[in-house]
Amino acid sequence: MKYLRVMLRAFEMSMKMRVINAFWYLSWLVFPLIFSVLGLILLSPAGSSRSAYAILGGGLIAYWGMAYLEGGNNIQDERWSGTLEQLMGCPTPIAFVVIGKLASSLAVGILAFLPGIALAYFGFHQSLHHIDPIPFAVSFAVLTFSFFCTAMALAPVYTLWRWAFALTNGFEIGLYVICGFMFPIAQLPGWLQVMASALAPSWATRSLYAATGQSNGRDYLLWWAVSIALSCAYLFCGWLGFRLVDVRARVSGQLALA
Amino acid sequence: MRTSAIQAEDLRKTYITTRGVFRREHVERAALQGVDLEIARGELFGLLGPNGAGKTTIVKIFTTLLLPTSGAARILGLDVVKDPWAIRKRIGFVFGGERGLYWRLSGLDNLRYFADLYQIPPDVSRRRIAELLEILDLKGREKDKVEGYSRGMKQRLHLARGLLNAPEILFLDEPTIGLDPVGARELRVLVRKLASEGTTVFLTTHYMQEADEICDRIAVIKKGEIVALGTPGSIKTRVEEQGVVEFEAEGVPDERIRALRALEAVTTVIVDDRELSQVVTIHCSRPGEIAAILATLLDGIAVRKVSVREPTLEDAYVLLVSG
Repeated sequence: MKYLRVMLRAFEMSMKMRVINAFWYLSWLVFPLIFSVLGLILLSPAGSSRSAYAILGGGLIAYWGMAYLEGGNNIQDERWSGTLEQLMGCPTPIAFVVIGKLASSLAVGILAFLPGIALAYFGFHQSLHHIDPIPFAVSFAVLTFSFFCTAMALAPVYTLWRWAFALTNGFEIGLYVICGFMFPIAQLPGWLQVMASALAPSWATRSLYAATGQSNGRDYLLWWAVSIALSCAYLFCGWLGFRLVDVRARVSGQLALA
Repeated sequence: MRTSAIQAEDLRKTYITTRGVFRREHVERAALQGVDLEIARGELFGLLGPNGAGKTTIVKIFTTLLLPTSGAARILGLDVVKDPWAIRKRIGFVFGGERGLYWRLSGLDNLRYFADLYQIPPDVSRRRIAELLEILDLKGREKDKVEGYSRGMKQRLHLARGLLNAPEILFLDEPTIGLDPVGARELRVLVRKLASEGTTVFLTTHYMQEADEICDRIAVIKKGEIVALGTPGSIKTRVEEQGVVEFEAEGVPDERIRALRALEAVTTVIVDDRELSQVVTIHCSRPGEIAAILATLLDGIAVRKVSVREPTLEDAYVLLVSG
């Protein structure tokens, strides 16, 4: 109960800080709109066969961006604002704070789908016609879980190695491609498909688009199982990472350093 | 038998840092070199020392934020290495400066958040927060954003955060730094009151007057080693055979200062450059004799005033850390 209260409070604090942060409006409103415009212009001529990628792609990119940027980077944010020492000195493991903040990032990240859907409907007269509601909802939940676990694994990595965030940032667009956010992974060369298979979000994305009629295959159970298994592996790595952060921070005394 | 509030035995901490950009090399820096301390429950203990002496390192080890390289430290009988979670529930800490708060949120938001992090039940935390806002004179402003608070208010909010869990030991790392004299005085009164109510207080400070005024005992740390430990009075007696001669003059040449330093009876000479003059403080063993020599040594220099006085705690401190 006490940890649940911490997570809820971290969720609330994170929400409050987000609402007053101008960058957040860029994340859920402006960025997905830009990606959606590109997607709709490039993919609309192909007819409805790729329309779901155009409509949801911008939102997926922004959703992922919010998970890894705001979620994964949130320990580092605390360090920049000088509150990390205070948090680490509390009798509650910092992982619970990160869970609350990450949940808030993902909860509001759903908003990032609205600009793309609205633009597609009003600007390009396109909508999602062939949704299988239950597989779609489950796929979305699995995708959210995969984002959550990926960010939980990245958060300690960013804290331990400051160059890691820059590196991930550099590979960000590559991840959009490998995870199949805007077009099917099947279009990628074989070696990239192998890389994609190691990423939990790519399996969830595949099932999400399949639920919108964008694929002939319907191996939902397999895709969900692989995504969840990989996500759990990430979560385990994250747990190890948080333990390492605690020890390393206490050895080096660098919590107060930005 | 009650355990001590704080115990340290041969406490050592060595930081390993890197130097250089292209050719990186590891450098070891000893921050603590065998510190022994024992602080009783309810005691108000002050740790004095120059920048980089190891004050913050000690506080961070005691608050479980840092692991010692060797030696042992126990807080309320609990080991800082093995029992950090149990210790954190029973202590509070406040680090000086304005950082460490969520500036864009209200003071109340900050306190509620940390109350949950300290696992305080909601009904208790509501009462405790109201009580602390009242005591720390923040009532009425608790719903304002922290960024609109004065420095003194921010420091009081830090203190409220540190007191949320009604800690048995409160660690204060330079709590009055940057505060105006009134704010600093109010904080000292509050700290004294906490100690009189049974809270053990461990504070580090640069301000001798502060330590002299409120601490039951003090330790002086220099280059990671405790060089003096006792009551403020007992520390002063270490230099009671010493005297202090002070004079204010205009344009004292460097060679005259060097000549002063070379005198056998002189221990230290501190020159404080003011806008139009210099104030020179001389710690020496025979102040009367030095005052007489000054007349010759400062021949031709406009001297405003010369005074001879008893050493203060600050003088003792200066001698301890510069000797």
